[in-house]
Amino acid sequence: MSAWSLAWRTVAHNPARAGLAIGGVAVIGALLFNMLLLSQGLLLSFRDLLDSAGYDVRVLANEGSPIHRAPLPGALSLADEIARLPEVRRVALIRSDTALATAPGREGNAASVTLIGSSEHEIGGAWELVKGSPLPASSAAGEPAPLVVSTKLAQLQQLVPGSPLRLRVTVGGAASVLPSLDCRVVGIGNFTFEAADDYTVATTMAGFAAAHGTPEGKNEADLVMVASAPEAGPEAVAKAIAALRPDLRVYSNAQVVEQFNTQAFSYFRQISVVLSTITLAFAFLLVATLLTMSVNQRLGEVAALRALGFPRRRIAANLLCESALLVGVGGIAALPLGGILAVILDRILRAMPGVPERLHFFVFEMNTIALHVALLAATGFLAALYPIWLAARLPIAATLRREIVS
Amino acid sequence: MLRSTRIRAAVTAAALLVPPIYSAAAAPPASTLPDILLSRQLAEQASLHVGDTVTFAAEADGRDAKQFRVAGIYEPTPDPMRFTSRRIEARLHLPDLLAMTARPDDPSSADSVRAMNVKLVDPKEGDAFSAALTARVPGTFLRPTARAQDGSDPFAVLERFHLAVAIVTVLGSTAFLLALMVMRAEERREIVGIIRLIGVSQRFVLLVVLAEGLLIAAAGAVFGVLVALAAEGSVNRFFQWRYDTTLVFVRVTARIALQSVALAVPLGILAGLVGSWTLLRRDIISLVRR
Repeated sequence: MSAWSLAWRTVAHNPARAGLAIGGVAVIGALLFNMLLLSQGLLLSFRDLLDSAGYDVRVLANEGSPIHRAPLPGALSLADEIARLPEVRRVALIRSDTALATAPGREGNAASVTLIGSSEHEIGGAWELVKGSPLPASSAAGEPAPLVVSTKLAQLQQLVPGSPLRLRVTVGGAASVLPSLDCRVVGIGNFTFEAADDYTVATTMAGFAAAHGTPEGKNEADLVMVASAPEAGPEAVAKAIAALRPDLRVYSNAQVVEQFNTQAFSYFRQISVVLSTITLAFAFLLVATLLTMSVNQRLGEVAALRALGFPRRRIAANLLCESALLVGVGGIAALPLGGILAVILDRILRAMPGVPERLHFFVFEMNTIALHVALLAATGFLAALYPIWLAARLPIAATLRREIVS
Repeated sequence: MLRSTRIRAAVTAAALLVPPIYSAAAAPPASTLPDILLSRQLAEQASLHVGDTVTFAAEADGRDAKQFRVAGIYEPTPDPMRFTSRRIEARLHLPDLLAMTARPDDPSSADSVRAMNVKLVDPKEGDAFSAALTARVPGTFLRPTARAQDGSDPFAVLERFHLAVAIVTVLGSTAFLLALMVMRAEERREIVGIIRLIGVSQRFVLLVVLAEGLLIAAAGAVFGVLVALAAEGSVNRFFQWRYDTTLVFVRVTARIALQSVALAVPLGILAGLVGSWTLLRRDIISLVRR
């Protein structure tokens, strides 16, 4: 009989004990799997979000905090300068502010929205149009400003393409004295960076300036987004822009993700390391204790096997297989369980204010499964060492005598 | 209603654009310079000490730089919302800051602040105060410093996350405990059989198992709390070192300790009951393997 068959018989002989041990490993394994998903999930998701916008370099003002940068003055000439670089494929200017959106006739349903002004009528994956048309490249004087509104806002205010909407820019979150601007919804879309507690409205730069009471525009931008030419790559473009304008901050998407990794995300990464270590220690304790107790209960059996000529190596292989069965079956059960748990934990964390709805904290990756399997295998092996040592150094005659006497 | 107004002026790292000057040779006597306070992190980074002379500029090109005397070094108040960023800060008297940031083309800039902290005589009057001030000064944005009660702030979300992780851990521990108790019961099958053979009632055996479960669970819970208390310092020290902050990350409070014990003890009893049930439901003969 092979070591595997013997281990299987031992496990199957005590189904309740084996079931509970496998259940324990499965639950703890699920938590471990989740922590491994969390260790990289937010970064992967954030990188996906950035890449989906279709621009791979971001230019910001040097002044202000990393979150609240001062606007870039002379944005139009800056965009022209950047666009002339041979490494650059496309440039977009972005402005953002908060506004109060009111559908005429439904004043009681006003909503605070994030207003985005864009020099491009379609910002790649920043919004995905689901109804209507994109922002027009130009609009005639006197026409209402064109808007693309988020599906959530369209649902809240029952907007369809062609619906009128009034915007009033708010100053510092309070009601402002700026006049309302009559706008018209041209499209409805899903905004990639829209948070669960937020509504988003995009318009042209002219529309944005008109909403601020300066139809001629302020020639400012909060952000310049640059798409690199495929042959140049984002790093080369970032270097070229930094050389062109050393007074600005230039980041490729990879650099933004790296900053995010070292600052905002470090807490979750460390929590995941701490909890992964604790879960592994817990799984080790669980398997080691159960195997040790199992060996202690079967000392007579082990001594008898040894007396029959079973070598120590065979006994050790049997215990290793038993450990592998418990950890292996538990570890496999941990994957679907961990998947369900990841959905629940992800939903909890995504309720954080300001987190884009499409950002996920737990992202599935094949590498994570490989790491999960490797860690559990190592834990199972280590957990079997002590019971193996106990079984291997067992005095055969004395144990058999004790068993018979008892 | 308005009792006191405290305004804090801070220059962030972006404003510290001119390297600090330590030599007083070309500088005015330090005693005539305005005072400035530096955060511990800034002082360490720039190797500055009390009494040093430093030069600050609000503009990126270093123009209109002004000299200050370091009057003190302070530990920034820990801010959970900013613990991942280094607190490279300085505090100066508001008139000194306004003198640095005022623009000649904007006369109002010499008389402008970005924020004011207000302490109310009666904190319950926050809403009324907000309404009154917004009516008098349109365009102001008022925000209470108290934590939102609707569970929407990031820390409430983190609390829910940690609670969910704790529930999963409890489920895993329960399975562990159940497996142990089942094995323990199995170990004592013959003893229980003999006890029952000599006339001890099932009820008494059950009570013994319950008492044992209670003892093990209580001892385990107390041990767990002690381990948490011992680990509290290490975890805090690690994160405080990692983020260079005095923020407390882990605090084992009496409420948390009691919650742990309140969860662990019933679970221990339940595990004991389940373990003993496998023995008590069998007949005596099968227990003694006859």
